[in-house]
Amino acid sequence: MSLLQRIKNKVRARSIHVAYVDVGSCNGCDIEVLACLAPRYDIEQYGIYVHNNPREADVLLVIGAYTPGWEEKLAMVWEKIPSPKAAIAIGNCPISGCLFNRRETFIDPPVRKHIPIAAEVPGCPPRPTEILQAILSVRDSVFFNWEAEHP
Amino acid sequence: MASSLFWYVREFFRAEWIRKFLFARTAPLVTPPHFRGFPEPTGRTCQHALFCMMACPAPGAIEVVHAGDGWMPKIHKGHCIRCGLCVEACPNGVLKSGRILETMEREGTSLIFSFRIAIDLELCTGCGNCCTACPVNKEADAQMGAGGHSSNDEVIMRVQDGDIVVIHEDKCTGCKTCEASCPNGAIRIARILEGSQEPVPEGVQ
Repeated sequence: MSLLQRIKNKVRARSIHVAYVDVGSCNGCDIEVLACLAPRYDIEQYGIYVHNNPREADVLLVIGAYTPGWEEKLAMVWEKIPSPKAAIAIGNCPISGCLFNRRETFIDPPVRKHIPIAAEVPGCPPRPTEILQAILSVRDSVFFNWEAEHP
Repeated sequence: MASSLFWYVREFFRAEWIRKFLFARTAPLVTPPHFRGFPEPTGRTCQHALFCMMACPAPGAIEVVHAGDGWMPKIHKGHCIRCGLCVEACPNGVLKSGRILETMEREGTSLIFSFRIAIDLELCTGCGNCCTACPVNKEADAQMGAGGHSSNDEVIMRVQDGDIVVIHEDKCTGCKTCEASCPNGAIRIARILEGSQEPVPEGVQ
């Protein structure tokens, strides 16, 4: 492993920039993501920073059951993120549609049909610790040795 | 001025602070054991009452499937909302989650299912499909024919003189097989989930 790669690994492990996008959720999961920012869980002590700008982000947190208004738009947000990148589905809605997935609704879950999802966090809503663990696991599996594996 | 500067420098370069700054450790990501997680098996035998599936508010979250010789509820993550109603509704205590079972025992609470059979006699043609389809009827009277006639008094319902008569409503298990077999939509099963709590003894809070 080259020295440059080692430095990049070291830096990336402590500097994950996160953007979150709500594609039609009930706001429960948004509140749990917000709780990650609060002093009790304090997402920045793990080196995770929230920007809400896809051009600066490494990780996209997708929340919600994919309403028709997000067709094409979510893919646009995903394409704006520079590589290496990963998307995490937060909550039951992006995985299965959960309570909203009933007859005669317009939602179109799962979100992994529309953009590639690296990790899924089940729960309605998931706990802040579970969200943090998912982001940290993606950090190790996606960003480690990125340049060496994608020449 | 100089003394105040000296005070600040001494204050900020305290050995304890520097140690904290250099060796700060992030808090461990642990979930306390009393948090309600996804329901887990306790090891008791599932009796296939299916009350967990009936109580579950999330579509497709719990299924009772074959496991070896018997049955076992299976939780689907991504659908389950961790409400714990299946844990409370199970009559055999097959599932556990957080401290729901301990709380139920301490406070004497329980969720009890009961079933009512409602038949619209205007729509009912007396064909007897429901009586023949009913699995409880089949066990009580294996001889019951296609018309739903029976001389056995242990069946839930039977056809008498071209009309359906419900005899033992309390034996209904709420499976709704009769609803599916009725050609007219005349029979409806109501699943009633009742929460109850034992009275608190005198002097105990």
